[in-house]
Amino acid sequence: MRKSVNRPPTPDVAENQEKEPTLQELINIELIESGEKERLMELLRERLIECGWKDEMKALCRAFIKKKGRNNVTVDDLVHVMTPKGRASVPDSVKAELLQRIRTFLVSAAL
Amino acid sequence: MSLPNEENAMSSSPDAQLSSHVFGDLLDSIIVDVASECHRIAKLGLDRNFEEEEEELRLSAQARVRVADPSNSGEANGKYVVDIFGQNHPSVASEVFECMNCGRSIVAGRFAPHLEKCMGKGRKARLKVTRSSTAAQTRNSRGNPASTYSAYSNSNSTNRLSNGASAVAGEEYSNGALEEP
Repeated sequence: MRKSVNRPPTPDVAENQEKEPTLQELINIELIESGEKERLMELLRERLIECGWKDEMKALCRAFIKKKGRNNVTVDDLVHVMTPKGRASVPDSVKAELLQRIRTFLVSAAL
Repeated sequence: MSLPNEENAMSSSPDAQLSSHVFGDLLDSIIVDVASECHRIAKLGLDRNFEEEEEELRLSAQARVRVADPSNSGEANGKYVVDIFGQNHPSVASEVFECMNCGRSIVAGRFAPHLEKCMGKGRKARLKVTRSSTAAQTRNSRGNPASTYSAYSNSNSTNRLSNGASAVAGEEYSNGALEEP
């Protein structure tokens, strides 16, 4: 009998069991489902704008765009330009505040 | 309100690692957002400073050349300025500093024209490009010429009001200090 539908075979149960979700993945799911991730992101965004971090990053991007030419720049380029400096230049107070909130969440989620 | 179990969990490093990982994740997402925003502004040419910068760099370079060349300072102006210390002042101020509005390095002698473009020229003044302002622009431009006309008519009406008021006030304005629109 001809198969009427072309589809890949369903994955084995054995294959599925190998992909046990890591603790990090579980936490991530909990963060997203409870809406806390969104709240944390908004908080971080706000703090980074207040302290001028976003302006610094935009200036970095503008300088890079000027050098490379407006039409040759990809989003990926900009991400690579910003990431090292961006991660390093977050003010300690902002980082501490966010880490504190994350820790609080982890404690409450673990219960 | 901390139970001994909680404290054990919190002091161990995996927990700190987890928090850092989550923080890093959030930061990466925000970096991607900023990147896509800058990319969009660059591609759509919304950065009003972009073309002006090249022009300005050229003019700044010109100004700097003029300043650096000592033979220019007296002859070009026709006068030779000497202050009480016996110092000659260059015709174009040569100090380079940072504009507090856009953060670029500007030659002092070019600062006034730069500010003009940087902060807008009155009628042509445009706000710094942000998501909200571009959203407002697209909202306005999406087919509401009436909204722009109403802005003009408002200003006309306020002028008319002030004219009426001045008529009441009398002679104070009769010397033409108040311009007719």
